[in-house]
Amino acid sequence: MIWITILAMAALVFISRYLLLDPKLPIRLGRRTQAFLSFSAPAVLTAIFAPIVFLRDGSLNLSPFNPYLSCALLATVLVLLTRNTLVTVIISMAVFFFIH
Amino acid sequence: MTDSPNSSAAGSFWRGTLAVMPLTIAVIPWGILAGSLALESGLSPIQSQAMSAIIFAGSAQLVALGMIKAASGLMAILVTTALITSRHLLYAMAMREAISPLPLRWRLILGFLLTDELFAIANQGKLAKFDPWYALGGGLSFYLGWNLATLAGILAGNAVDNLGSLGLDFAIAATFIALVVPRVKDGASLLCVLTALCLSVLCEALAVPGGLLIASLSAMAVGYGYSQWGGRKS
Repeated sequence: MIWITILAMAALVFISRYLLLDPKLPIRLGRRTQAFLSFSAPAVLTAIFAPIVFLRDGSLNLSPFNPYLSCALLATVLVLLTRNTLVTVIISMAVFFFIH
Repeated sequence: MTDSPNSSAAGSFWRGTLAVMPLTIAVIPWGILAGSLALESGLSPIQSQAMSAIIFAGSAQLVALGMIKAASGLMAILVTTALITSRHLLYAMAMREAISPLPLRWRLILGFLLTDELFAIANQGKLAKFDPWYALGGGLSFYLGWNLATLAGILAGNAVDNLGSLGLDFAIAATFIALVVPRVKDGASLLCVLTALCLSVLCEALAVPGGLLIASLSAMAVGYGYSQWGGRKS
């Protein structure tokens, strides 16, 4: 049963990634569609990380003692100052695991 | 491949590997969590590794493991997986111009490797400059890192108690913040990010099904609308 679950999930995930890359699919992207899609990365990535940062146990936590929130602010400041992904990720994760 | 000289292909491959390196490092805690949680959910070590090796989708794996542990049915797991993975349709659509003209072999490999992280480094909006070797280097090294981290989680799974409570999920937040913040360059992208932020938190707090997609699509629409009609030209 677990193997079936794994294989079915793999098929679903692969199809979602591959389907629209196939040239046989009759889709032409206009300039407007492409401009719309250029917002997909910031939109999706933010929608994934925001609940991790702002919600604790399912409810909003804006306290400075929410380590996720304070370290997310630290990461924001670090990446603005350094423009360096690696430095930002490593320092903010280290601080997080230290205070968590 | 004959369409690019070997030396520049190797160079591109290496540059892709380097570009994704911070994300590969940041995914290590996440992979360890996936490996140890798989064992805890009753999967064998081989099954635990197979999840990372053939599904290769962290968020879908972690949510599915929680459901397997809670003895959810196969259908429920697959519907949830479909919702979580639906964002890849957006990525594939955005990369379509660049990848669909490539030979089948390239499309299958890059399609399989098309994670959030690969999308973030490979899709810079300059479609004419898309370099498949760069994307392959980024994708393959990230795949290797994810699977080694899973293996570490499987090996450590029995040794470390309560790995789940360590807050390994902050790694994902830190990575995505580092990717998103530098992209906020104008009013349109700022509005897009703020919309995604508020709506995703709201949807998650209210447990709205498909909240990720609702928040993402609304944010894209707001950013696009502002760039077209309200603000400066995109």
